[in-house]
Amino acid sequence: MADELFRLRVAFHKDGRLAYLGHLEVINTIERSIRRAGLPFSVGNGFAKRMRVQFSQALPVGAFSTGEYFDLTLTEELDTAEALARLKAASPTALGPERCAYVPRKLAALEAWLDRSDWQIELRGEGFDAARLEEGIACVKRAGKIDFMRGEKQRSIETETTLVSWETHDEPWGVSLGLKTHSSNLGALRPAVLLDAAFATEPLAGAMRASQRVCRCGQWHEENGGLMEPFDLSFSWSLTA
Amino acid sequence: MRLARQDRYAELEPLLASVEHPARYLNHEWGAVEEQDGPFHVCLIYADTYEVGQANLGLAILYDELNAAEGISCERCYLPWIDLSALMREKQVPLLSLESSSPVASFDVVGFTLAHEMIATNIIETLDLAGIPVRADERDEDDAIIFAGGPSAWNCEPLCAMFDAVLLGDGEGEIVDASHVVRDGRAAGKSRAQILLDLSRVQGVYVPSLYDLVVDESSTRWGYAVPKPGTDAPEVVYKRCIPDLSVTDPIPQKMVPYMGIVQDRLAIEILRGCARGCRFCQAGMTYRPVRERPIEQVVDAAEQGLETTGYDEVSLSSLSTTDHSQCALILRQLDERLEGKGVRVSIPSQRLDSFGVDMAAAVSGSRRGGLTFAPEAGTQRLRDVINKNVCSEDLENAARNAFELGWRRMKLYFMMGLPTETDDDVLAITAAARRVLEIGREVVGRGYKSGVSVSVSCSVFVPKCYTPFQWCGQLPIEEVRRRQDLMIRANRDRDIHISYHDAQVSVVEAALSKMGRAGFDLVYGAWKRGCRFDAWTDQFDYEHWLEAGRAMGIDLEELAAEPYDLDARLPWEHTSPGVSKDFLKREWHRAADGVTTDDCTRTSCTGCGVCPTLGVNNNLVGDRCGR
Repeated sequence: MADELFRLRVAFHKDGRLAYLGHLEVINTIERSIRRAGLPFSVGNGFAKRMRVQFSQALPVGAFSTGEYFDLTLTEELDTAEALARLKAASPTALGPERCAYVPRKLAALEAWLDRSDWQIELRGEGFDAARLEEGIACVKRAGKIDFMRGEKQRSIETETTLVSWETHDEPWGVSLGLKTHSSNLGALRPAVLLDAAFATEPLAGAMRASQRVCRCGQWHEENGGLMEPFDLSFSWSLTA
Repeated sequence: MRLARQDRYAELEPLLASVEHPARYLNHEWGAVEEQDGPFHVCLIYADTYEVGQANLGLAILYDELNAAEGISCERCYLPWIDLSALMREKQVPLLSLESSSPVASFDVVGFTLAHEMIATNIIETLDLAGIPVRADERDEDDAIIFAGGPSAWNCEPLCAMFDAVLLGDGEGEIVDASHVVRDGRAAGKSRAQILLDLSRVQGVYVPSLYDLVVDESSTRWGYAVPKPGTDAPEVVYKRCIPDLSVTDPIPQKMVPYMGIVQDRLAIEILRGCARGCRFCQAGMTYRPVRERPIEQVVDAAEQGLETTGYDEVSLSSLSTTDHSQCALILRQLDERLEGKGVRVSIPSQRLDSFGVDMAAAVSGSRRGGLTFAPEAGTQRLRDVINKNVCSEDLENAARNAFELGWRRMKLYFMMGLPTETDDDVLAITAAARRVLEIGREVVGRGYKSGVSVSVSCSVFVPKCYTPFQWCGQLPIEEVRRRQDLMIRANRDRDIHISYHDAQVSVVEAALSKMGRAGFDLVYGAWKRGCRFDAWTDQFDYEHWLEAGRAMGIDLEELAAEPYDLDARLPWEHTSPGVSKDFLKREWHRAADGVTTDDCTRTSCTGCGVCPTLGVNNNLVGDRCGR
């Protein structure tokens, strides 16, 4: 009989200087933190013998987050408080774990399951306010899709389903923008892509952004119009890949 | 002018959003020394990008040594990529250290690693970006004292105009001693000139400003250096040498980078030095004698280092890892201790025999990527000339053994332009690849599905100082190209892939290897024309180097191809790794006669002069059997 395995879900944040880490760098750093913590992680049977760990959707380089997640497969059901304490002691503060709990092993892959994100963006600059930004984003939404370049490649993302809602507020230092996005296997809308498109619209003509601070505030699973929190243990967990 | 020591990260941070790989500039890695209270501050610089420099084991050793020393703090700095350096110049942000984000120009001592010749323009770029005068003789009294050292320090003359002191040999101990001299000198209110004089009294430290350049009939056109009258500087500065590797920290690499670096794994140095005596190899001469780390120390360090860093791979590093007398036992013990932890063990090079293949099999588990061997030359005649003590049978046996153990891809390293090379030797490179491929097909089978292939990588020979070939000229570039073409055209098999190094880079490398102090004008001229990151293929601009040479009346290609008289005084003879000139001459004559020389760790002393000169000996932990 195969040994029993356990799926530990860990919430962590990404802030400070480490906001500038790319997704692969975050993955490498956390895998090394897990090894340093001495957690009894499971190793895959594949060619490369890799640690069994999966991450929520990639966060853009430079973006902060208060709601990131990874699922780690363990070979022992370690007490969650102890697992968290060991992880905290072995992790860089700016990528610190905050909470952990066991979830059913058969659950769908984390990256696909967490398909809703909330973002908080602070924009500083000249020539725009909350109303004009609101209007610019509405123009992008109406256009139905955004064509953009990633590196040297032309990409496109539709806005009908990926851009769920947004709200803007004037602040003493500039404009704050709250965004809700939805991802699917067709793609995920990055705030920077949306803002680049919005600032190219007529309502924001002549506006200049001096800086933008992007923070992902949380991730959820969307099901039948409702949102499920990643640690929501009241959920039946019947959704499998 | 010395800048104030203060955290200036706030000036750098806004620039990070618009550059490639901002993780290069973040600091705060796991294991980095955050407390930088000093009061004496040293900054060690590898003048290339973070991902290249952070992997350097030598720098990690020195970083640890300095931070462990009472009253000394040590930080790191790497050269920003061209996107960030352009922004920093535009916004007038000086080069900053990583740990405290203080200006490099605020440090007491700044140390550079001379990793290879092609880092030369990057050192100028680094000093310029830091706002430190590039030439040592233009620095103010309170400017940082600039150290340099590392594997390419043996002919540091073309760069020594930039350095206040060059540290030769093993850095352990030496860099702390030299830093103490600067600290104590500053505390006592000594002048910069007096501090440099004091530095010249530290064993292994060469102070270029205390030497005059003499060009006469006994020298090459680059002259030689003699101590200035009244300085009492040594006529020859010999390297510092640690007699016993076991007294050094086996895990100097405590820092875990966020971004992928060139060797992204834990490295344990299991031995230092190599006595095989390959006549083209500078490291084989300059790192002598051979010192092995005890087996228990290696195994314990690997296990402990993996636990504290979280790496999933450990590399047993050295110039020739499978030469360690206890290599098989080390790998067996590591295998037992690390079983089930998802950890890989790697060794950087394979010996060209069945033992080498067995060791590769021991570390690779069920994985069978490519396997690399370095016959270096195609014919037995030429392998004897270069003292590469392997024969065709070794290569064939190793290849057969590897194919039988499951490998399908073989990579072979060769050099082109070795002394006495003929067209037959060049054609033999392709023939050797064909023979290995044929063995693979015999063992595995023919046809596409067998997956058998051979890659040949052929570099261009660069004559290096302190090797028996130091007097040689480099093969002229047109001839290199003709022979490369000959080699390529001799190959008609699609399963043999041949690649070769850029001959133009090798010309610059050879020029910098052969020149004396006047070489600095060449380097500076190239930098002024825009050269930096010359080791990066997409950044290297040969035309700028040629122009810089022409501006000083030098044809770079002629210079690289120029042989030196065997009796001439050479530009680098006053900075010595201990190997005697007589030994190198003897080896040169034996090369010309095609006579090989044994490895002194397996037979008896071959008279290189290192042990009696430095007062050390080979220090092995067991018997080395076989060749």
